[in-house]
This record gives sequence, structure tokens and C-alpha cells, in this order.
Amino acid sequence: MIGGSASRSSRSGIGIITVALPLSMFVLLSFAAPSFFTGQNIGNISNQIAALLITSLGQLIVAISGGVDLSVGSTLSLTSAIIVSFDPSIVIPLALFAGCCIGVVNGVGVAVFGVHPLVMTLATATFVQGLTFLVLPTPGGVVPPAIERLAESPISGLPGSLLWCAAAILFFWLLLSRSSFGLRLYAIGANPRNAALNGVKVVAPIITCYVLCSLSAVAAGVFLTARVSTGDPTVGASFGLDSVTVIALGGVQLSGGIGSVPGVILGAITLGLATNGMNLLGVSPFLRMAATGLLLLGAISLQRRKTIGV
Amino acid sequence: MAMLETPRERPGYRLLSAATALPIAYVGTLLLLLCAYMFRPALLSPMLLMLIIRQAAPLGVAVIGQSLCIRILSIDLSFGGVAMGVSYILTSGYVPGNQAVLIGGSLLFGAAVGLANAFFIVRLRASSVIVTLAMGLLLTGIVIAFSQFRAPGDAPALLKYIGQTRIWNVPLAPLVWFALLIPIGWYLKRSVLGQYIDAIGANPRAAHATGIPYASVVVLVHVASSLFAVVSAFLLVGFVGMGSLDIGRDLALNSLAAVILGGVTFGSGRGGILGPAVAAFMLTFLFNLLTSFGLGEPSKLMLQGAIIAMAAIAYSARTRN
Repeated sequence: MIGGSASRSSRSGIGIITVALPLSMFVLLSFAAPSFFTGQNIGNISNQIAALLITSLGQLIVAISGGVDLSVGSTLSLTSAIIVSFDPSIVIPLALFAGCCIGVVNGVGVAVFGVHPLVMTLATATFVQGLTFLVLPTPGGVVPPAIERLAESPISGLPGSLLWCAAAILFFWLLLSRSSFGLRLYAIGANPRNAALNGVKVVAPIITCYVLCSLSAVAAGVFLTARVSTGDPTVGASFGLDSVTVIALGGVQLSGGIGSVPGVILGAITLGLATNGMNLLGVSPFLRMAATGLLLLGAISLQRRKTIGV
Repeated sequence: MAMLETPRERPGYRLLSAATALPIAYVGTLLLLLCAYMFRPALLSPMLLMLIIRQAAPLGVAVIGQSLCIRILSIDLSFGGVAMGVSYILTSGYVPGNQAVLIGGSLLFGAAVGLANAFFIVRLRASSVIVTLAMGLLLTGIVIAFSQFRAPGDAPALLKYIGQTRIWNVPLAPLVWFALLIPIGWYLKRSVLGQYIDAIGANPRAAHATGIPYASVVVLVHVASSLFAVVSAFLLVGFVGMGSLDIGRDLALNSLAAVILGGVTFGSGRGGILGPAVAAFMLTFLFNLLTSFGLGEPSKLMLQGAIIAMAAIAYSARTRN
């Protein structure tokens, strides 16, 4: 672990498997499924991956700080419910406000009161899911045209999903690699006590992480709702664990301090290709759910921790 | 523990700290009963109370397993998947054999899931939350995929008998719960294993350093926890009388809430077996009270989340002081 390149790669967390997995999946799919390379399918994949990638980037910064956020799925669902249930002019500010509140509650619970992040975010996830059912009990509703246009691209030929991804990637890359906030975050995640002793404030950055994570779930929710043009109170149900799977596949250490934007992009592509591939090969959606579970077990087994337990 | 408190050994302080150290569930249950007495006295009739206790039994059994996991700083969120798997084994008709074989098979299945959880948690050192959530996802996906397009069949007669019979007006299901609860509580107080569990909960590193078989205890607890989930699913399947894919859906979250309310927290090494049991009753009573006020599923979920969060915050604030 001596030397610049070694320590750099250890902070990004990208290993051989992180890179090899999406590549091999790509090769495998192009042989196994003939319709894989059609333009329509590539468009489908980028749409499917976009929401997942945006959510997972939020999950990334929480994970670097040493936490995890299981409430992103409910936040995404709540956004979808808000968009079809209120006056079109206030839905976006309302969804962003809701995201901020969820993030602040998570962050304060974890950083100020010292509740385990999984317990805290599982609790908010349950609460927010209940709230979502209160706002929109069943799938349906009409998405305002102005919001539908958000998922479309202003440049013809370029899918809107790509622009959303690019914006999210740029934002989180700048945040993590080019800002002092990012540097402090890595320090906090690696060892909060050391960071605090070195004069890095711990509480505020962690709360900020949870707020940004919830806001990225809101952004993913806006994109997803705009694309499917209808509201669904359970649309985000799978995103909590899926985003954790993505970051684990991307080499992000759930114990904190290690992880990078490129890793998460690779992870999102891996999970996206896996889902899309099973779709093309006609695998039952429930078996796909089981496969995600298996993939998650595999991904976290790759990262040995020091402690046993939660 | 006692040594740490020596500077503050005044009787008044000790009384106060003993009172605040009581699980939230005790006070909560009293408040709820009071609330029911004022607004919905019908809920307090012996007949209905008995029904609520019967309804609490599956959760109560699952809570025993969850509290063991949380005492050793682990967690088991795969209860839902286990319950669905058990329901499938018992009622799908695909699995051959008489009811003894089916029940034995379910227990074996539970033990296998527990072992798999423990393998990932102990051997591969993966986070138990993620492992058990993934395991739940895996089992749920497989069971739903297998049981598509086929109506579930009847439950084994023995489980229906346990779920639906009453002896001198006392339903059998709570008796099963108490029959598990009391010996296990006594065993954990008296046995070496119980001391190991307490030691690991109080300080895992110290427990490891003193030569306590850390890994074996974690494996044992996770297998036990899955077995409790299986018994809990037996009771649920017995109540309904037939299989269902809805069985045990909120078992994991409710058991987590009950354990936290019952005064067992991560890393304190404190907490008994009675607190979580009272909390299981409290939650069931609360849901009945809410239903009687006409509140539906959404508010139930919101309350569940709020309870978990607030109880967790209250306990961490307390242990910090």
C-alpha cells in the first residue's frame, strides 16, 4: 500500500472485478440476446440506468461518510406521488422540500443522536412510504406536460436520460474530487474521530450528505415520473437495495472512506445490464428480484470488513 | 456497569435512573391501555384482550429471535422471506409428505437460511442488515416466481388446530408463545450461552479477546432467529388456515420496532426478554386501537416508522448520557 498509485486506487475502490463485470456482461449479452444491440434497446437501457445511477450517486456520498440510506426508494415514490397530486406549479419545489426534510431527519438522527444509519433510514423509509400512500393510494394520475418535457432532450438525437446522467455525474464528481467538502468527507468516512481531532467538523457534513442523497432520489423520481408519465406510490420500492447493490458492485466500501464516481457508474451499468439482460432473455420479474438479492450478496461478500454484525 | 456508577450512588438518583432505564414498552403499554379505557373501552374486554394477545403471538415469537440478534450487535431482516418460504413449503402441495414431514422440512429450511445468513455475516464479514435484506429479497423473489398461477392450498391440520383452537376460552397460540418465552428467558439468564451473548453485546472486541467463541455464538443466534421466524410463520399460517403470499410481510420491521421499544439496543449489552415481549403486545394493541379509530394502512406505516426512529433516538440519547 505504499506509493501514489496504490493509495489512489484504494481510495477509489475500483478493483479488477468492478471493471471486468460490466465488460463481461456486455460481451455475454451481445452473444446471448440478439436484440441487445438494437437502437431501441440501448435507449431502454440508458433510461433504466439513469434513475438508478442518479440515486446511487447520492447513496455514494452517504456511503463515503460511513453511512447508508435505505430511504431513497420511498423518497423516490413520494416524489412520484407529489408530482401527480398537487398543482403543477408547486410540485417540484414541494418535492425538493420533502427531500430536504427527509435528509435532515436522517442526518440529524445519525450524526447528532448517534442512531445506527440503517435503523434510522429504515424508520424514515417506512414513514415516508406511509406518507406516500396517504398522498396517492393507488397508481395513476396525470403528469403535467411541463414536467414530462423535463425527461426529453433539447438536442435531437441525444436521449434525455444521458443529459440527466451527465449532469448528476458532473455534480457529484466536482463535489467529491474538486471541493474541500469532498476531501473532508473522505476523512470523516475513513475515521470520524481522527477527522474531528484534526479540526474537521463532523456533524454538518454528514447531515449535508443525507440531504444531498435524498435530493438525488427526488431528482431520480422527477426523471422517472416524467418518463413513465404517471404516478405510482411504489415506483421506488426496489431502489433502496438496488442503489446499495450498485455502490457495492462499484467498489464502494460500506464502512466508509472509500468510493468513487467512476466506480458507481460501472456498478450502475453492471446492475442495469443484468436487469436488461434477464428481461431480454425472458426471465420472470420475480426471479430477477431474487437475482438482485444474489448479486447484492455477492457484491458485499467481496468487501471483508473488520467487524462482525450490522 | 455498577463500577461506572459509583460517583452517583445516591438513592434518589438510582431510583430515577432505574425508572428511566425501564423499556419504553412498559410505559407505552400503560398509556395505550389508559387511552383505550377513555376512548374505546370495548377493546379492554377480556374477550378482545385475549384476541389481541393471540394476534400478538406470531410477532412475539419472531421478536425473541430478533432480540437475540440485536443483543449480539447483529440484525435479522429476512423474516418476511422466511415466512413466505414456510408458507410455500406448507401449503403449495408441491412438497410431498405428511404434515410432520412438512413441519420438519420448514424447520430445516429455517435452519438453512439462518446458517446462510451467518455464513455471510461471520465468514465474509458482510453487514448483517444488507445480508439479511438481500436474503429476504432472494427468498421472496423465488417463492413468488414459483407460486405464480397457483392458488395456495390448506395449512396442515396440526397448525390449524394450534392457530384456531381454544382451551377453556384460552387460545392455544399465545400458550405456544409463552411456552417458548419463559424457558428461553430463564435459560439466557442462567446459562453460559446467555452470559456470552451479554458479553458480546456489551463489548464485542473485549468478548473476542477474552476467548469467548464469538463466531459460534453469532452462528447459533442467527440459526435460532430463523427458527423463531419459522415458528412465527407456523402460527400465522395456522391463523389463516391456508397459504398466502402476504404472510409475514411486516414481521421484520415490526419485530425490529418491538425490540427497540422493549429496551434492547445495539451495543449496550442490556435488555431482557420480557421488554420486547411486552412491546410485541403493545404494537399489536396499538394497531388495533388505530383500526378502531378508523386509521388505515398509510398511518400505520407512518406510525411504525416514527416509533422506530423515536425509540432509537431516545435510547441512543440515554446511553450517551
